[in-house]
Amino acid sequence: MSSLGHTFSGGVTALTDFSLDIAPGEFVSIVGPSGCGKTTVLNLVAGLLDVQSGDVKVGTTSPKAGRHDVAYMMARDCLYPWLNSQQNAEFGNMIRKSDKADSTKRVLELLERVGLKGFEKAYPKELSHGMRQRVALARTFAMASPVLLMDEPFGALDAQTKLVLAELLDQLWEQEHRTVLFITHDLAEAIALSDRVIVMSQRPGRIIANIPIELERPRSVRALQKDPHFHEIYANVWSLLEQALEDKPTEVA
Amino acid sequence: METGNIKTAWGMPIWVLRLVLLSLLCLLWEWATVRQPSLRVFVGQPSGIAVFFWDGLFVNGKLIQHGFWSILATLISFGLGSVAGILTGMMFAMSPRLEVFFQPILIALNSLPRIALAPLFLLWFGLGMGSKIALAFSLTFFIVLDSTVAGMRSVNPDHVTLARTIGASPGTIFRKITLVSALPTIFTGLRLGMIYALLGVIGSEIIASTQGLGQYLSFLAGVFNTDGVFAVLLLLAILGSAIGYLMTRIEARLLRWK
Repeated sequence: MSSLGHTFSGGVTALTDFSLDIAPGEFVSIVGPSGCGKTTVLNLVAGLLDVQSGDVKVGTTSPKAGRHDVAYMMARDCLYPWLNSQQNAEFGNMIRKSDKADSTKRVLELLERVGLKGFEKAYPKELSHGMRQRVALARTFAMASPVLLMDEPFGALDAQTKLVLAELLDQLWEQEHRTVLFITHDLAEAIALSDRVIVMSQRPGRIIANIPIELERPRSVRALQKDPHFHEIYANVWSLLEQALEDKPTEVA
Repeated sequence: METGNIKTAWGMPIWVLRLVLLSLLCLLWEWATVRQPSLRVFVGQPSGIAVFFWDGLFVNGKLIQHGFWSILATLISFGLGSVAGILTGMMFAMSPRLEVFFQPILIALNSLPRIALAPLFLLWFGLGMGSKIALAFSLTFFIVLDSTVAGMRSVNPDHVTLARTIGASPGTIFRKITLVSALPTIFTGLRLGMIYALLGVIGSEIIASTQGLGQYLSFLAGVFNTDGVFAVLLLLAILGSAIGYLMTRIEARLLRWK
């Protein structure tokens, strides 16, 4: 993305001069105060919003909703209540007309990995929030898209469930190293998961810090919670974020 | 909803208690009409009603015969009305402009007391099936139309967004998401539409018809056969409940995920 800007029809300028490059296989998080435009960035990349100024490329082409090389996941589980867990997890592949047998096999494996063995035939109403988001995670990973866009996927969960699911996401990602653009307001989550954390300023959103996270991989999100190095990084990034809240622009490498 | 299995304080199933209460009322009713025979003209007599009901079903078959025509008319008008209602609703959901255009006309038509159209329908379609089907159709159609439009509007926008990001075409989104999301609301409309179809048919028959339970009812009332009137009412109550039960069962089967 380069010099991206976006102003909503109400006249709210969500983004100014936002430039970011993400390497294939990189896990990048964007954190920032609420309303800073991080979801706008994601939706531009997802092709859900039209690019007004600047340029976005996914791979070599412009973003477009429905590209098969991109999978999108939201804060709300967004499961279809009339489909059971397995059908929901297969939904993406069903729409994309992937091979049915392959997809079923992959989905059953994924459901087992996210801890839902035995719940394949359960309808969303029978599942807890955490379990539903696990299904959504399985649905996202079931699609063979090399690029994953995640909009606060664990934002609506309680603290413990959030950690468990972040750990799951990390494990799934470590296996395949897909390119992830991850939006969150949870700094600890961003640091624990990412290769790089982007800190955004308040509206209109700019990048105020671009911090590589030098934690070894494979990681364990849960083990990191007790790691002093993790807390050190956290403190550093937090001070930057605090500046963002006070809206003092600073240059950080 | 499942109240059939609730036990009462004495450990009896609740339906036993209901039956006891109903029998007591009938006994009281019977006793009053035996003591005061002039009451029979106004409220009939349970034993007389039972005999009329039995004869109408199994001896002379008059209730069966009239009932057949009423049910047939109800089913036809329900079928036509709901198919037309759902199709029109789908059209409105696909093209909001079409809806904006037709809305005032439809609201005006729908706020018309439908019974007021009965004389016209009689003129146009005669005393047979046509006029009652027309009246019942005019009731069912609007109910199902309204619920279809409301159901399609209630689709969760996130569900649509997600499907878009996956790459579903507008047609697929309509069939696999909008329509399925609307089903529960459409079903509520269908259940109501069925009851109104019966209402329309009976109402039309009471106004003027050559056969049907409504016509029979108004004939019996005209000759002061109060037992007969009550027997027809009993049959209508049973029919109405059966229809409601059937619709609920179908709904429960189709919408297990709800």
